[in-house]
Amino acid sequence: MPAEILRLRNATLGYGNHAVLTRLNFAIERGDFLGVMGPNGSGKTTLLKAILGLLDPIEGSVEAFGSDGAPPRFGYVPQRERLDPHFPLTSLEVAVMGCFGRLRPMRRPGREDFAIARACLARAKMEEFTEKPYRRLSGGQQQRVLIARALAGEPDALLLDEPTNGMDLEAERAIMEFLIDLQRDQGTTIVFVTHLLSAIEHFARRVAIITRDGSVIIGPKEEMLSPENLTRAYAAGVN
Amino acid sequence: MELLTIPFMRHVVIAGMLAALGLAPLSVYVVLRRIVFVGAAVAEISSAGVALAILFGVEPFAVALALTVVTFLAFSRIAESPRLPLEALIGMLYAGGSAAAVLLIVKSPRGEGSVLNVLFGNILTVPLPLLWAMVVVFAIVLAIQYLAAKEFLIVAYDPDMARALGISVNLWNTVFYVTVGVAVALAIRAVGALLAFALLVAPGAVALCMVDRLGSAFTLATVVGIAATVIGIFGSYWFDLPTGPTIVGLLAALFALSYVYAAMKPA
Repeated sequence: MPAEILRLRNATLGYGNHAVLTRLNFAIERGDFLGVMGPNGSGKTTLLKAILGLLDPIEGSVEAFGSDGAPPRFGYVPQRERLDPHFPLTSLEVAVMGCFGRLRPMRRPGREDFAIARACLARAKMEEFTEKPYRRLSGGQQQRVLIARALAGEPDALLLDEPTNGMDLEAERAIMEFLIDLQRDQGTTIVFVTHLLSAIEHFARRVAIITRDGSVIIGPKEEMLSPENLTRAYAAGVN
Repeated sequence: MELLTIPFMRHVVIAGMLAALGLAPLSVYVVLRRIVFVGAAVAEISSAGVALAILFGVEPFAVALALTVVTFLAFSRIAESPRLPLEALIGMLYAGGSAAAVLLIVKSPRGEGSVLNVLFGNILTVPLPLLWAMVVVFAIVLAIQYLAAKEFLIVAYDPDMARALGISVNLWNTVFYVTVGVAVALAIRAVGALLAFALLVAPGAVALCMVDRLGSAFTLATVVGIAATVIGIFGSYWFDLPTGPTIVGLLAALFALSYVYAAMKPA
């Protein structure tokens, strides 16, 4: 099994000919717990999209390595504010979407898929909310449902976009500790993107910082959270 | 019930129920996707198609349907422009379709009256072949909507997740928009633009105010669409009112009640 799940080689990422991140060279290791940080608009979501394969690099390459020769499965957890609250969906209906990638076109999810979704909701400690409307859950509960949805796709890695945005400290801690448990117990690679320094400082094992010049520096948290590195990301500097 | 012993009234009821059955389930996604004015745009594009056909002396409805399909194929390809919100595109379809229709009608040897007669049907005068066309087309539309339920859901709710799962957002948006375009064009021909537009919006809006499950929303929208249509037809007969506006008025009243219910329901 390759030690790396993803490697970027001289990758320039952006939209059309507009480069957002330039000449990225780094790898994400299997079983990593990586926090990606940078100010708003720095290109965090662009990086996430490239990892997911939704965005081809303008230059260079983004290579992903599965455990059995097949491409790795990425479980995507979007920013929950992006999902339209007008959709009348139960937690179970949201979670079962994670199984859709395994189903043939025009094949509806069956009992087995709903059983997987229920099991994933249980892993996320949301079994008692299975039939509750997703839009009426708290932010932390919605986040757990979205993580359950990603887990229903049996992913090699979870990619989370601002998973604790808008949450109080207690809810943030609960979500991040759930992710730490997932990584420790299942060996799931976790990559989360955030603009919140507190989430990185308390929970990440390794840190990738998107700098103001559109490059990425990456390393163990203890080395990365130096004032010099943070100043490269945030204009005013951070102490 | 003695009303149904009159042959033409049977046609009216069947045509109304078919239009409701074809459009009401679609209305749930039309409302959720914020594309309610697609119905109005389809009417204008169909007008342009009919005017074009009359100008060149070919079968009007086939051209109207073909132009609608081609337009919505193109629409689905550019609907995700990062530069423009979708409603601007729908507005331009409406304006462009209207302008094309007027320009073509001006040059048409048979004039505006023929174009409007061919395009805008009246629920009281639906011919039998059109009823059969509705049965076939709406059966296909419903089958697609049932079978592609997961695709329609995820591309509308979370397109990035759909892409990450390998589900083609472009393909399923195209299928959805073309399905809506064809269903609306046919319904306009059968029951008129106002009723078709109302059936494309109101049942879904009522259902989404009332229920917390998507599956229930489809069921309730269909029930609301069919019930309002049948009650409206009978009501218009008993009270000597125009049929289409009676049904639309009933749908508007149901929407008002459901909106109040939703506002009073605890969050």
